[in-house]
Amino acid sequence: MNIVVEAKQIKKVYGAKGNVFSALEDIDLTVMEGEFVGIMGPSGSGKSTLLNILATIDEPTAGDIVVDGINLTKMNEEQLSAFRRDKLGFLFQDYNLLDTLTVKENIILPLALAKLNVEELERRADEVADKFGIRDILNKYPYQISGGQKQRTAASRAIISKPNIILADEPTGALDSKSATDLLESLKDLNEQDKATILMVTHDAYAASYCNRVLFIKDGKIFTELVKGKRSRKEFFNKVLDVLSALGGGANDVI
Amino acid sequence: MTLFSLARKNIKGNFNNYFVYFVTLVFSMVIYYTFTSLQYSEKIQESIELSDTMSFMFGVSSIILILFVAIFILYSNSFFTRKRKKEVGLYAILGLRKKTIAKMLFYENLIMGIIAIVIGIILGTLLSKLFAMILIKLMGSIAEVDVGISILAITQTVIVFMVIILFTSVQGYRLIYRFTLIELFYDEKKGEQIPKVSLISAVIGVILLVVSYWLILKPFPDEFTTEYLIKNYGIAFVALVIGTHLFFRSVTVYLLRLSQKNKSRYYRGTRIIETSRLLFRIRGNARTFTVIALLSAATICFLGATYSGYYSNEKRAKEVVPFSYSHLSKGPEFDSQVESIIKADHRHPIKAKLDIPVIQVKGILSFQLDYDINPVKLISESTFNKVANALNKDETVSLSGNQAAVIQPRFTEYTKSVFKGENITIQLPQGSSELPFVHMVESNVLPFDYPDFFLVVSNEMFAKIAKKEAPLTYKVYEVENEVTAQATSRKVNKLVGNDFQVSSSFYTEYKQGKEGNAITLFIFGFLGLVFLAASGSIIYFKQLTEANEAKGQYEILRKIGVNKKDIRKSIKRQSLFVFGLPLTVGILHSCVTLYFTSNFISNLIGINLIFPILMAIVFFVIIYAVYYVLTVNTYNRIVNK
Ligand SMILES: Nc1ncnc2c1ncn2[C@@H]1O[C@H](COP(=O)(O)OP(=O)(O)OP(=O)(O)O)[C@@H](O)[C@H]1O
Ligand SMILES: [Mg+2]
Repeated sequence: MNIVVEAKQIKKVYGAKGNVFSALEDIDLTVMEGEFVGIMGPSGSGKSTLLNILATIDEPTAGDIVVDGINLTKMNEEQLSAFRRDKLGFLFQDYNLLDTLTVKENIILPLALAKLNVEELERRADEVADKFGIRDILNKYPYQISGGQKQRTAASRAIISKPNIILADEPTGALDSKSATDLLESLKDLNEQDKATILMVTHDAYAASYCNRVLFIKDGKIFTELVKGKRSRKEFFNKVLDVLSALGGGANDVI
Repeated sequence: MTLFSLARKNIKGNFNNYFVYFVTLVFSMVIYYTFTSLQYSEKIQESIELSDTMSFMFGVSSIILILFVAIFILYSNSFFTRKRKKEVGLYAILGLRKKTIAKMLFYENLIMGIIAIVIGIILGTLLSKLFAMILIKLMGSIAEVDVGISILAITQTVIVFMVIILFTSVQGYRLIYRFTLIELFYDEKKGEQIPKVSLISAVIGVILLVVSYWLILKPFPDEFTTEYLIKNYGIAFVALVIGTHLFFRSVTVYLLRLSQKNKSRYYRGTRIIETSRLLFRIRGNARTFTVIALLSAATICFLGATYSGYYSNEKRAKEVVPFSYSHLSKGPEFDSQVESIIKADHRHPIKAKLDIPVIQVKGILSFQLDYDINPVKLISESTFNKVANALNKDETVSLSGNQAAVIQPRFTEYTKSVFKGENITIQLPQGSSELPFVHMVESNVLPFDYPDFFLVVSNEMFAKIAKKEAPLTYKVYEVENEVTAQATSRKVNKLVGNDFQVSSSFYTEYKQGKEGNAITLFIFGFLGLVFLAASGSIIYFKQLTEANEAKGQYEILRKIGVNKKDIRKSIKRQSLFVFGLPLTVGILHSCVTLYFTSNFISNLIGINLIFPILMAIVFFVIIYAVYYVLTVNTYNRIVNK
């Protein structure tokens, strides 16, 4: 199997002279094609920062990232944009929907930007809308829908272009357990059927139990790693809880 | 840190945003200063014929200017306020006392206003000389005029602008007291609702526009009454204003919505983003667009019309006062006195000298004409032909018996057909006689004097009537190069007095017309400039505010993978729409209106308006283009760093 993401010695430092804060320190990360990787850790540990760097939205202070054999640090702005558009699906922690577009327009935006033909575009929009149960709100605007509906809209937008890599930052944060399960199931489908590689940040051990592997981050460093292997989801779930309590904090996020 | 230095720091920090506003403010001060200094400039007034009018016109236009500028300043200020609400809220949360914040805002505004005034006055004194020179050049005066520094104008400018600035400063002071903290923080989202499409108001808008265009473009009726003028163009004007507003409010919404229907176009690239953004903003912009479109239409119209008036002044003057000098004969002694003045002017030798006998009689027309014809002025066929010859015109008449030719009364639109087959009965002491109209001619003989109803009759007829009713004799002179005969004209005018409603010498009429037109052209030109600068600045500022609000949205786009180039392109297209739409509508309106005025004017003097109109339009487009470029760059800098 191919290596999809390979990050070496990633550092991220915020702030300028005198007042620096190190959000990530020497992170090494390798993700294989078709993996479903979870990232957990206490609030402020650097999870979103890591994900943003992998998504090329943020730049690392040091280190190299190779995605699909391409060294991201060597690409120019235009290439990076094209990379984000064509290869990545990003599910943001704060949804990032466009206020002036309807739910449907938000969802199909990546396809419109890629100039896909309309028939195909409509077909895929229907498909994802059904998958996430947001058919009824397709013509509403973001200010008219709930947080959970926004999250599902964001999820739909992230997967509509069938990206090779999906980066999800707490995709289930605003969802009830039913919708959360639906979303996780569909991520799993994408992972298993379409061979999409998924990296998911989560606070929720239940969500993490859907992954093949979970990375734990603390204070900007990798704390430990847990592989599901042959374990059942229930067993894996308990394992995750164990690590979380060892990590301190985070465990109380379990409902 | 003192309050004062905090305020100063804030201005520095915000200067980029204020820059365009600031420049516009200074510019309008310069123009205001120029207008008032011209109003008070005695030196210029001595050198021209129209001194009273000039002072009056500059007085009035400086009032119009200040009204406009005041609205502009207040409008812009409400923008700044909205933009800074959050900042002010933040200060309050950080623990600054309300009073302190209020004072800071007050000082900030005041400092900026005072800086603007100082720069405005300095530039004003420098530039007003240049502008005055332009005016003198336009008026065609030869006099070397030094405008000098007008203390009166400086004082007036300072006081007027100080009042406005103090007012806005007080508003700034009150800002923090007017809102609760929570209101200061949550304000942005207002007006950000998707507008509903109202087909009815879109249709009404289109209908109103069509109706008003139709009313304006309708050819003149044969009878052209004031009542018709008011009714027809009054309705047209109201329909145009309402129609324009509905156009921006509903028709554009409808069209944008329609363009969304074409999915294969709409769902392609960044068009989806631009269209939806425009759709969201259009309601908030509708009123501004309407005002801008109508005002630019009016400005282009006035500019075009005045320019053509300026352009055609000589022709008009020649019509109103056909000869270089004309006067009523008042005995040989008086007449020779006038003649000797004219003869003494060697630089303007006499080309032709004529006696024009005129008989005034009472007449009744065989039909209804809304022109007061009495007393009818009769001249003979030979007099008319001699006049035509002296003025190098090919229009001659030949009449026999009772036949009469009417000279088209000046400033009217009567056509030949109005008089065809009709006659006039003139009353003489020994009874009346009926004269049938056989011609209408357009060459005038004497300076305009209401009622301007001249009849040319055959020589025999004239001689016959003259026996009963003694003619008045007018003496007319045509001299070489009459457009420069200033000194002699002044002397003749003084001696002759008011024989006519207009001046008795061509030069005076010509020069007054030229000066009047020059002043109007000058005023409209600069008012137009101020208006353009202000409207451009308002659009610029609106776009900037929008850019600041939309920052997050563009960041999302970048995250999804739209590159900087495409975002810039998208900003360009949006701004083009925002600047282009009101301008296009304004130009359309002005073309229609000018078509009407040009019909009107060229009927009178037969000149071509295309060139001046084109100039005015090109001028508008260029200035807007500058603002467009500024807007795109700043917008891009804000959202696309
Ligand atoms: N733009 C920034 N400037 C300075 N510090 C930042 C910035 N963004 C993040 N940080 C800091 O970096 C650290 C990591 O932030 P990050 O958002 O990655 O946390 P997280 O693990 O995603 O937390 P959460 O679970 O709450 O989302 C935090 O301490 C945060 O304060
Ligand atoms: Mg986070």
